[in-house]
Amino acid sequence: MAERREAGVARAPVERVIELAGVSKVYDTGRVAVRALDDVDLRLEAGGYMAIMGPSGSGKSTLMHILGCLDTPTSGSYFLRGHEVSQYARKKLAQVRNREVGFVFQRFNLLPRLTAAENVELPLLYAGASAERRREVVADLLAKVGLSDRGHHRPNELSGGEVQRVAIARALANDPAIILADEPTGNLDSKSEEDLMQLLDSLNEKGKTLVVVTHEDSVARHAKRVITLHDGRVV
Amino acid sequence: MNFLTVFARAVASMRYNKTRSFLTALGIIIGVTTIIAIVALLKGLDRTIDQEFSSLGTKTIYVQKMELEIGLRRHRNFEEISKRPDLTVEDAAAISELATVRAAVPYIPRNLGTLTRGIYEADECILAGIGEGGDLTGNWIISRGRFITRYDQQHRNMVCVIGSYVADNLFGRGEEPLNQTLEVDGRRYVVVGVLEEKGGSFGHPQDNQIFIPVETHLKYYSLPEGRASVFRGMRIEVLPEEEVPVETAVADVEELLRLRHGLRYYEDNDFGLNTQESMLSSLNTIRSVLWLVMVGVAGISLLVGGIGIMNIMLVSVAERTREIGIRKAVGASDVDITVQFLSEAVALASVGGVVGIVLGLAAGAFVSAITPLQAAAPWWTVVLGVGFSAAVGIIFGIYPARKASGLNPIDAIRYE
Ligand SMILES: Nc1ncnc2c1ncn2[C@@H]1O[C@H](COP(=O)(O)OP(=O)(O)OP(=O)(O)O)[C@@H](O)[C@H]1O
Ligand SMILES: [Mg+2]
Repeated sequence: MAERREAGVARAPVERVIELAGVSKVYDTGRVAVRALDDVDLRLEAGGYMAIMGPSGSGKSTLMHILGCLDTPTSGSYFLRGHEVSQYARKKLAQVRNREVGFVFQRFNLLPRLTAAENVELPLLYAGASAERRREVVADLLAKVGLSDRGHHRPNELSGGEVQRVAIARALANDPAIILADEPTGNLDSKSEEDLMQLLDSLNEKGKTLVVVTHEDSVARHAKRVITLHDGRVV
Repeated sequence: MNFLTVFARAVASMRYNKTRSFLTALGIIIGVTTIIAIVALLKGLDRTIDQEFSSLGTKTIYVQKMELEIGLRRHRNFEEISKRPDLTVEDAAAISELATVRAAVPYIPRNLGTLTRGIYEADECILAGIGEGGDLTGNWIISRGRFITRYDQQHRNMVCVIGSYVADNLFGRGEEPLNQTLEVDGRRYVVVGVLEEKGGSFGHPQDNQIFIPVETHLKYYSLPEGRASVFRGMRIEVLPEEEVPVETAVADVEELLRLRHGLRYYEDNDFGLNTQESMLSSLNTIRSVLWLVMVGVAGISLLVGGIGIMNIMLVSVAERTREIGIRKAVGASDVDITVQFLSEAVALASVGGVVGIVLGLAAGAFVSAITPLQAAAPWWTVVLGVGFSAAVGIIFGIYPARKASGLNPIDAIRYE
């Protein structure tokens, strides 16, 4: 299911939410240079739902971090909704992370000192939303993920599945077009996994573009499209 | 995020780790307490000194063997100074002839130690030879009787005028000292005057004096020699005429004494003309040294406090690397992170500053309560304390804050 190679893309059509062209990521640790991503091309249309699979160390997380603007490629171009974000300055990237994409990690998603509601509020705070709007949106999102009664709990007072749902609520805070989830069900039992995937499915149905990294076929099955990475290449 | 939100978050974070926050703020607390307390003490000292000076004659010029300088401005060669000519009764008489001078009075003190009269005794009495007008130059008020006169001087009369301490201690309650005799070193003096209480000056009691005519004093006691002559030799107290500025009288006395001592134009004065003005100005050198020391002490303790804050903030940044990563992942900009850590440093320092101000004010109040020093910190020290601690927070918070904000989001998240 590899993407068709299309070299020399100068500007991607707008309906393509994500377009990677020849993206490589090399970690230079001093003694050896690890090629975590090797010339990856990738496209995803608006409303798409993609699962990324592959063995451990194949570069899935690295790819997700680049997609989420948490890291920048060593070479190649990344177009997000038609803009080449690989050229963005730090400040602009922070804005992209804040408004354009929502990220869900496998572990350590939430700030342990803050309550669930405060965690969900963070992106709104950095977007400069008013207190009133923040309250509204947080209540709304907690209801959406079925945790209205857990707003005042701290992360250590929540179950693993609840933590991940709070993380999803936070990813949705500024209503981004894209949700990126790196092994969101990695620490969950099959029941919680199924609940969480249904939540993600419903988001996709409402038009969010989704990328999910997973080792589980049961998770990958939810996606409309599955790609597999091997040694930093899409196979 | 507005200022209040930022500050509230900083305080919340501070409370999360109370013990550590307290220990960190301790440096600032000590620094600010030191500043406020020292300012309060110095202010109290200033006030006390001003009060002490007002108990001396304000216009009186003290002609002595040595220029008095309260302070450490230069090393004085006492051998040299003790070789200067002694001041004499004739000098005083000549000075009193000056048109600008109202009175010029010789004065020689002599420590008596404890003096007894029958069952009564008085400690640390001073037998002082003095001339007519000594009540004017010394700012004395005569309670009863009269002061020493020119006639007493010329005839070496065996009379004395006593201070209130002497009167109170050597005479019984209700006993009138006037016209009674007082025996000193086996010689009897008739009490012709009693002075009103004046209080001490610079810790020196003044009411313990027994004034006798200077010629009488010279007849029975030799002048001190060598080093003792510098401080305990004869001095002349000069009171300028009314309406005459002190400096004018000082200039006249200087000219006259230079003439009498045969000094050439290139030679320095071999006597000192000490006025309240000149002593105040030398005192001001001490004051500025004290203030400098204060600035130094306060600066060092604030520096130490600031380094403490920086240290803790660096630890905090390392500890919260993952938090920083997550915040960045959800959209915090470099500025947001800088503001967060900087505000925490400033909050720590400010709380320390406020506590320090309270403690400093309390220390001043405590000193005022248990000593005669009126130590009170002026209002601006509070502004100073707050300003300094906030500045320390900013200066020493900026580096850790910049370090935090400079992290790459993904490196921060992966940090173990
Ligand atoms: N910061 C880094 N410095 C050096 N090498 C790194 C760094 N991050 C990742 N790598 C290397 O890059 C390769 C890809 O790592 P990545 O985390 O993307 O794998 P992954 O597919 O997510 O694996 P897993 O399924 O175990 O999470 C690995 O070989 C890893 O050792
Ligand atoms: Mg991974």
